[in-house]
Amino acid sequence: MGLRDVLPGGGTSSVTGGMFGDGSPAFLTSKIDWIINWSRRNSLWPMPFGTACCAIEMMASAASNYDLARFGMERMSFSPRQADVLICAGRVPYKLAPVLRRIWDQMPQPKWCVSMGACASSGGVFDVYSMVQGIDTIIPVDVYVPGCPPRPEGLIYGLMMIQEKIREESLARHFEHRAEDPNTVARPHANDAQVRGLSGPFGNSTQQEELSTKELGADIASSEDLIP
Amino acid sequence: MTLDEIKSGFDAIDEGPHLSESSTISLAGEISDPASHPSVAALLGRFGDAILHHRVSSGTQHVVWIDPSCNLEILRWLRDDPDQRYDMISDLTAVDYGAGRPINVVYQLFSTVYKRALRLRCELPLDGLEIDSIVELWSAANWLEREVYDLFGVTFRKHPDLRRILMPHDYEEGYPLRKDFPLRGRFSRAEQTRRALNQAVEHSYIAEEMELGRDPQQATPVNGTQEGDAEREVR
Repeated sequence: MGLRDVLPGGGTSSVTGGMFGDGSPAFLTSKIDWIINWSRRNSLWPMPFGTACCAIEMMASAASNYDLARFGMERMSFSPRQADVLICAGRVPYKLAPVLRRIWDQMPQPKWCVSMGACASSGGVFDVYSMVQGIDTIIPVDVYVPGCPPRPEGLIYGLMMIQEKIREESLARHFEHRAEDPNTVARPHANDAQVRGLSGPFGNSTQQEELSTKELGADIASSEDLIP
Repeated sequence: MTLDEIKSGFDAIDEGPHLSESSTISLAGEISDPASHPSVAALLGRFGDAILHHRVSSGTQHVVWIDPSCNLEILRWLRDDPDQRYDMISDLTAVDYGAGRPINVVYQLFSTVYKRALRLRCELPLDGLEIDSIVELWSAANWLEREVYDLFGVTFRKHPDLRRILMPHDYEEGYPLRKDFPLRGRFSRAEQTRRALNQAVEHSYIAEEMELGRDPQQATPVNGTQEGDAEREVR
């Protein structure tokens, strides 16, 4: 007994020329996860947060030669409230850190973040007093795009990785994927021990793998100390 | 280049800049005849004791060390005197030579009338980092003096709006361009991140600057009238 037999009217369309020809079902069955993920990943609207030369490559990605719109990033949303994915392109000084954090907080869920280029991902060559050593100490980051700056193909590949990530998501695991604790809003994303690791030689660039793979426990010492 | 030379080069990077104990480092340049630059000769003739040294740097750049207490008087004369007419301030900056030596405030002047350049320097001892502001002579010096105040800690007397310009308004780690300032700042990265995220961004700006950032099509002006706008421009 097929699905067609249990539905009223035999499940057939009364309209001639249905979706798959005359007499075919007028509906499709699917998983709601699949439908939602499909629609989400094909209509990602980027919030451009361009602060340096990476932003030039980001603009090139959106222009006609590379045409980001082919992949669903139809519109660069200059308002964080209508954006899905934050592209942080360029170096972020500490003075700009609260701005970046506030823009991230203003974006509605679901949201993703691409850290574009060496400076946004790790501070790059700017291991100095004024520079954030990787925006993952400020906000959660989904995809790091390496390069100085990355070519447009790199950014497009990074955004397609976001799409792949969305493909695997499930509504049932919503909180696992992206819920942010309201208590952590406007607080550093990385904990003290992680940020302390950035003070070592070469900063974030040598610490990142350790930070992302090793579980850092509650051995958070006071950070009131000064570097000797 | 031998291996030893390369190694000593790396050691030098680790050790940071070497602080020469020579007291004449800030007088870099060649001694030259003051008469070779008309403004230098005129300065010596008019101000005499307030002109401390004269050197020529990079072949053609005449540098004059002046008494910091007379900077406003000398610069005003250089701007207004019909034979000088230094009507443009190309740059205003400062140099710290470290090792407790005085911080030099540098004025780079240019005369668009006579096509002449002149550099003036004022040596300020570390325990007396105060000098008169020259914003009343060249308004272009406004932000430049704020920058020197921000990064070197030099106070400019009678400056109309002496606030930090590059660093956050509540920055407490010191003056980043001083020689004794550590490259990564004085606080740990964790403390720097916490302070950065807790700063109130709006406090870095005064009311007029916040007004500039407002969307002219949407919000109404603070005092709501065209007269108010005109008054702000005048002020």
